[in-house]
Formats: sequence, C-alpha cells, structure tokens
Amino acid sequence: MSQIEQAKNEPKGARPKEQITTDPSDAAQRMRAGSMIIPVTPWVIAAVLLVLMPFIFTDNSAITIMNQMSITIIFALAYNMLLGQGGMLSFGHAVYAGVGGFFCMHVMNWSDFFAGLPLPLLPLFGGLAGMSLALVVGSFSTRSAGTVFAMISLGIGELIAACSVIIVAFFGGEEGVSGNRTYAQPFFGVEFLQQIDVYYLIAFWLILSALLMYLFSRTPVGRMANAVRDNPERAEFLGYSARWVRYYSFVASGFFAGIAGGLFAINYEILTEENLNTASSGVILLVTFLGGVGFFFGPIIGAIAFTLLQTVLSLQTELWAFYAGVLFVATVMFFPGGLAGLLMMHVPVFRLGKARLLIIPYLKTLLPAAIGLLGLAGLVELVFHYRHAATGDNEMTVFWTTFDSHNILPWVVLIAIAGIGLGIAKKTAPSLLEAWNEATTPDGGTR
Amino acid sequence: MTPALELKGLRKSFGKAEIIRGIDLSIGKAERHAVIGPNGAGKSTLFNLITARFPPTEGTVKLHGQDLTGMQPFQINRLGLSRSFQITNIFPKMTVFENVRCALLWSQGYKYSFWHMVNRKRDLTEGAEAILEQINLTERRNLPAGVLSYAEQRALEIGITIAGGADVVMLDEPTAGMSNSETDYITDLILKVTEGKTLIMVEHDMGVVFGLADRISVLVYGEIIATGKPEDVRADPRVQEAYLGAALEAEH
Amino acid sequence: MDLILVNLIDGLVTGLLLFMLSAGLTLIFSMMGVLNFAHASFYMLGAYFAYQISLALGFWMGLLIAPLIVGVMGAGVERYGLRRVHQYGHVPELIFTFGLALLIEELVQFIWGKNQMAYSVPDVLNFTAFAISGNSIPAYKIFMIFISIAIFIGLLYVLTKTRVGMIIQAALSYPRTVEALGHNVPLIFMGVFGVGTALAGVAGVIAGPVLGTFPGMAFVLGSIVFVTIVIGGLGSLWGALVASLLIGWITTFAKSYNIAMSDILNGIGIVTPTDLEDNIFRDLWTVTSPQIADILPYILMVLILIFRPYGLFGKRAA
Repeated sequence: MSQIEQAKNEPKGARPKEQITTDPSDAAQRMRAGSMIIPVTPWVIAAVLLVLMPFIFTDNSAITIMNQMSITIIFALAYNMLLGQGGMLSFGHAVYAGVGGFFCMHVMNWSDFFAGLPLPLLPLFGGLAGMSLALVVGSFSTRSAGTVFAMISLGIGELIAACSVIIVAFFGGEEGVSGNRTYAQPFFGVEFLQQIDVYYLIAFWLILSALLMYLFSRTPVGRMANAVRDNPERAEFLGYSARWVRYYSFVASGFFAGIAGGLFAINYEILTEENLNTASSGVILLVTFLGGVGFFFGPIIGAIAFTLLQTVLSLQTELWAFYAGVLFVATVMFFPGGLAGLLMMHVPVFRLGKARLLIIPYLKTLLPAAIGLLGLAGLVELVFHYRHAATGDNEMTVFWTTFDSHNILPWVVLIAIAGIGLGIAKKTAPSLLEAWNEATTPDGGTR
Repeated sequence: MTPALELKGLRKSFGKAEIIRGIDLSIGKAERHAVIGPNGAGKSTLFNLITARFPPTEGTVKLHGQDLTGMQPFQINRLGLSRSFQITNIFPKMTVFENVRCALLWSQGYKYSFWHMVNRKRDLTEGAEAILEQINLTERRNLPAGVLSYAEQRALEIGITIAGGADVVMLDEPTAGMSNSETDYITDLILKVTEGKTLIMVEHDMGVVFGLADRISVLVYGEIIATGKPEDVRADPRVQEAYLGAALEAEH
Repeated sequence: MDLILVNLIDGLVTGLLLFMLSAGLTLIFSMMGVLNFAHASFYMLGAYFAYQISLALGFWMGLLIAPLIVGVMGAGVERYGLRRVHQYGHVPELIFTFGLALLIEELVQFIWGKNQMAYSVPDVLNFTAFAISGNSIPAYKIFMIFISIAIFIGLLYVLTKTRVGMIIQAALSYPRTVEALGHNVPLIFMGVFGVGTALAGVAGVIAGPVLGTFPGMAFVLGSIVFVTIVIGGLGSLWGALVASLLIGWITTFAKSYNIAMSDILNGIGIVTPTDLEDNIFRDLWTVTSPQIADILPYILMVLILIFRPYGLFGKRAA
C-alpha cells in the first residue's frame, strides 16, 4: 500500500513538508487562487442534485441518512475553516455545534416566541449561539496556533461537556433537552411533520452555508487565513495581526458549526451530552481529514463517505469503529491529502488525456488489493467471533455466508483470499507505478 | 524635517552578551542607506530591533517621528515600514500572483473584510499585476511561489515588501547567496522599485552597497563606527582598519 | 486534621500516578515537539498486558514484562508511524496520535471486550498498612507511592548523571547540533519514545488494579494528563511534577470536602434567592465541590492559559 502511494507521489518530486494543505502544483489549487470568476456550475449541479435526491432515494431511511449527511457536511466544512484554511487543529469543536443545538432546543421550547417563528429561521439562532461561544473562547484561544490552540480546544471541550451534567438548566443533565419542531409557525403551510420537509429545509441551509463558507474563503480575511496558516510572521509584516485573522476565522467557524447544531436540533428534536463530547469532536476531525483538508470540497466528500460507511458498516459489523480507526490512521500515514487529494492527483492525468492508460493497471492492482483487504477483514471478524461469541454459538455470517467459526475451513479460505489478493496487488504494483509515470508525463517531454 | 527613521541609544542584550551597544542613527526621507559590517556585527539584530521582532533592552526607534516602542510588527507595518527577511520569507503554497495580492490587501484598505470578494476587485488585480510587471514575474503569475528559482523568490519577496506602498523599505541581505548576474538583476530591481522611497538595507556585497546607497553606516561589534557618503566611508582609514581588521579576524 | 493527612496521601498517590504519565509525555514533547495523544493509551495497554500476564505468571512478572512490551510497541510506533508522518508537519502528527488513541481503544475492545477486567491487587499487598483514626490506608497505596518515587529518582539520575542523559538533555534543546556531533538522533528519539511509553505502561500496571482496567481508562486519564503538562508548562519535567501533585491534591480534596457553592456565595455576602427553583442560576447555587472535582483541572488549565500561556514552569511560548 505504502509503496503505491510513494510511487504516486514520486512523479511530482519531493513534496514540501506542509503536505497537509496539499500539493500546490495541482491545477485546482491554481484555479482556486488566480482566476477572476467564481465557478457557478458546480453549485448549480449540487443544488439540482439536492433537489432530485429524494426522488431517486425515496424511502424514509434513505432520507434520514441524507439528512444526517447534510448536517455533517456543514459541520465538516465549518471545521475545515479552522483546520484546512486556518491551520488550527481543534479537538473540541463539537461544543460549538452542540451549544448551537441546545440553544435551538430552548428556542423551540419557548412556545410563545416559537409559535411566531418560521422553522427555517431557527438554525440562525444556533449559528448565533455557536458564534457567541466562539467569540468568548476565541478571544484567548487564538493567540497561538499549533499545539497550544489544540490543547485549549481540548480543555474547553472537556469542560463544557462535563458542565452538561452540572448546568442542568441549559444542558438538561443526563437526558438532554428535547422539543417539538412542529410547534413553529407554519412556513407557507408546511409544518415539517414529515422527514421530506425537513430534508428540504436542511438542503436549503446546506447550499446556503456551503456557499457562504466558500465565499468567505475568497474574502480578504479568508485569504489572509491561508497566509497566516503558512507564514504568520510574513503576514504580520503585511499589516495583518495573525491573532485577529485567526480570531475571525474561528468566530465564523463557530457560527457555521452552530448552524449545523441547529439543524441537528430540528432533525432529531433532542440534544444530549453526546453532542458535546470529545468523541463527537473526534468524529468531525476524522470526517474532515478523511475527505481532505486541502480542498474546499474535501470535507464534503469526507462527510458523504463517512456517513455511508457508518450506516452501511454499522449494520454489518460490530467492529465498524475499529475499521474506521484503521482507515483514519492509514489516511494520516499514507494519504495526508485525503480523498480529495487522491482525486485531484488525477487532474493532470486527465488534462494530458492519458486517463485510459491507468484503467487496466488500476484494475490489476486495486481489485486484488480490495479483495485481499476484504479477506483480511473477514479474518478479523472470525477472530472476533471466535474470541467473544457465547459458548456454543459457533455459527457466524461473513459476506452473506454462514459457517462455523470453530471449523478450520473458513480460516483457510479467508487466509487464502487475503494472501492471494494482497500478493497479486503487490506483484502488480510496479506496473501500476510505471503506468502512472507514463500517464503523468507529457508526450515528448523528458523528465 | 523629521527623519524617516531615527534610532536613539538603541541597545540589545541577550543574557550577558550585549549585541547592540548604543546606536544613534538618523535616516532622512528618500535616502538609500546601507548598513555594512563583518559577520556577527549585529546587523540582522539591528534590523529585528527596528521591526519589533525583538524588543530592545534600551533606547527608542522612531518612524516619521513616532515612537515604535511596544508596537507589534503589524502595527509598525501599518505606519509605513516594510521589510524583507534574510531567509526567503514568502507564502510558498500560494501562487506568485496571490503572494503579491495578499501584500496589497491591507494598504488598499480591505482590512479584515469578509464582505469583499478579492478576485472581483479590479484595483487588487491591477495593483498586483503592476507589481508583477515591476519585478518581472508576470510570466510566473500562476505558479506556486515555492517552485520559483531562488533569485525569483528573492525578487518576489522584494515585490511583497514594496507592494503595500510603505515609504520605508528595509531589505535584509537581498542578494545573499546569488550569482553575479543574479545580483546585478536584483540590484537593478531594487533601484527601480525603491524610487522615491527610504531604503535601509543590510548587505555583504560591497559592489551592491556602493552602487545603491546614498549613505553607508559601518557596524562593528554592535556600534556604528562611521556614517557618511560611500566615498567618504571608503576613504575613512578608521573604517578601513576596523572593518578590514574585524573582517579578517572573523575569517580566522 | 487526620482527614487532611488521609487526603494528602490519596492526593499524593493520584499525583504521582499522573506524574508517571506526564513525565514521559513531557519528555517526548520537549524532544520531538509532538504531543503524543495516544500516551494514555499506552498506559491502558500496560494495564491490559499486565492483567493477561498476571493470569499466567502472577502480578510481579506482569509488572516486569508488561512495561517492556509497551515500550517496544511505543518505539515501533515512533519508528514506523510517527517518523513517517513527521515530514507532513506538526498538525498531522497530532492527528496521527489522536487516531492512534482511537485505534488502540478499539483494539483493546476487540481483544478483551468492553467489560472491566478482573485485574486486582496481589494478595501480598492486600492488607491495611496502617490506619489514621479509623481511615485505613491500604498497603498497595504505599507500594504505588514507592514505585513512583523510585522511578522518579531513577529518571532524574539517568537524565542528570549519565552520559545518555546528557545527550538526551542536549538533544532536547539542540537536536541538530547533537546530530552534527555524530549521535544518532533518530535512535535517541525512538529510545525516548519507547522509555516514555514504557513509563506510561508501568503506571498502567500499578493503576489497573485500583482504578479499574476497562477500555475507557485511557480517555478518563488521557485528557487530565494533557491538562497536567499544559499547566506545568510544556516540556518542563519539574512543571509536570508540580502540576501532577497539584491536580492530585486539588481533586482529592474537592471530592472529600463537600463544599457547596451556596455556602461560598453566602459567605461573600450574596443572599440565596428565594425562588431558587425558577432562577436561571439555580445550577450554580446547588453546585458542590465533589460534583466539579473532575473538571477543576480543566478550569485551572483555562485560567493558566489565559494568564500565563506558557504554563507554570514553561520557558518558551510553544
């Protein structure tokens, strides 16, 4: 695996240390920086897709997943305003979404006021609550980036999560705060009784907040956030206080996190300590990093992939968190650009019109690798079952096949699959590398 | 007339070692002033004191008559002082164009705006393009700054330094580590872009110094032993002795 | 008075335990500039390994072997994980150790399940050492204190009196110079990482029987350890010691003395509102010190970071 990645990196020469913000020679990076036009097409496509999705995936569980996905996208984008654009690593960002959500729950329960408020406006209150908290915390936490910022974010996160059982009036203690969204003033006759109504509400906020966050990245303060991330000292000698630039990014991020929290409140109608704790903060870090912090759309991919993974895997196996952990660590080690980075690596290939050169080598290497990994996962499941299943319960199901985990045959089969799959992948990796070099070299050009 | 930059009794100690030992210097408007001296004389420290990278132990720095004590680098920059660094200090992941544009943002009054779109602003684009033209990097406009050649990066840094329109420009060894032709290129560039501005530079290359500077100060062991026109300084036997002596000493 | 003494001992135990973790963490940090988020996970691994070994070979072999295994694992993580991620910069390093912490927790659940292990105090030490006016002090606590102090003295000796210690100290401040002098700095890094995690392993071995050996034990202690080294000042060994003891005692005393917020507020002249039930500050009024004992370290950290960003003993602003 690592060999392949190294091979893929190789054609571009030694990568700079600050790989986390992806390779600058990538075309998209240039596009993002220079051009005068803000591309409209992707936004229109995204909006149309969002409108059409419920017609494609009609059943309620699909809509539930899409709602969750959309909320995660907003939250991950907000998180990436810090991590990707501002270079600030937060271990406690869930509290801004959480506090926004809790505040929205209280607005919901404030019946006199809520009865006169159209529901689509509610997330705004969440945003303002998240922003207010960020205004306070940011005033001292953004003095420095790096480790100190990360530690403060962790401390504040733990503090507020712990407060949730103490300050019962706001956080509702162990059972949390719940409410009912349908008590809001009907919005053009819609009372948001159905999941689908909520879907469109969330989709509207998704497009709006994503667009605003994108535009934010193109404003003077958004551009300077990148500058401060890369070289705070230089930025100071251009007239900008690194601290204030960080502060504004932080506050803006708190606002959009709060919006995500407000949407969570509308969707689930309950908030608990779980919305605040370090685990939630960790998940959003994972989602964002998995998607790729170097590109604006990275967190979007991350949120989609992660939500799908979570829903699909958690139905199949108890061990899904384990796989997610492995995936996360592997991403950090081998693909620090995340999924978006992997995708964007291929832009030059397409530009050279050589994408077809890669199809066969990819099939030859990645397919066996995937099969091998599945075999490995099967083994993991087998070990887990062998160790933890109740005595006498020897029957287990892996990949829709039911067998006896105490029998030798499934072990042999799975070891064979894993071994052969990974073996073939290893054997074909050099030819993939060769194809990749070929595909990234312009014709007639010497490298 | 108030001098552009005025240093009074400036001292700096690191622990027990006194690096800068009482410097008084006054640099007039639109003057090109070079600070020379052997290695370890404290030139870069002096630069860092003026630009508040370190706080001075004693003494004051005045920019256009205004005391800079206790100010942050960004505040000093806003008063019209801009600097380059000895080690190339640019934004390597941004494009060349964007490096320059970032340098324009504050001076064009955008401050911490989050309601303007930078790429919709004609003044920013044209301003940045004009600077690129001046530093001959128009061709490289859309490349990430990190992939430029060393000389180009130095040119870009000079571009960033002057972009904000600061009237006092400080350059820290702008030609360090360059070949002769590159040095000539940068020297011409400096002459061109600092037209009508106050320039203060630290430089090793005597050719550059004598070609550029209106006045020269010689810094030896944290003290200025002479200040004056290039020919006077060159002729000053004290300078010759002290500077060459110290230089020889430093080489041994 | 007697209660104070009992609390002092309890707080000392907690503090020294924290110190065993924070010492390794702070050494690793000052050397490599990376805050190892997974440090407490190695502490957990220490407890689990010791439990597994104690089943076969008894407690003492566990105490001996488990930290060694943990140390070797730590060195492996440095060599094959961290060193690779290092080239990407500090933030990915931090993210890597964070991911590792998640992964180790999942791994532990995978192998040992979600329940608490029956890892208990060895019989030899399962008696009351002495009693202070009816409060019995178990021998095991005294044992923990001795082990921690012995390790601390050993660490101090190695760092200040031996050649290796000198090199490590030099490498802490000037890694490049030390490398130029011909020392194998990557090897030193790996060694320090291994020793640091082994220390965490020791802490796990001796804390497992009293604090419980369960998959959440890393996260329970982990964030407190971070708080400790931030309060003490990142990279300062003495700071880590002082902060560990401080936190140990503060939390112990807060738990043991039931001080109500209403008493404090009344004491400074604020009268309890009559309609407490409907007051928005009702939770503030009813707060008691045992309730907030566990969050006191965080409050302390936030205050320290606001007023003294480099911690109690920190020299450089990290």
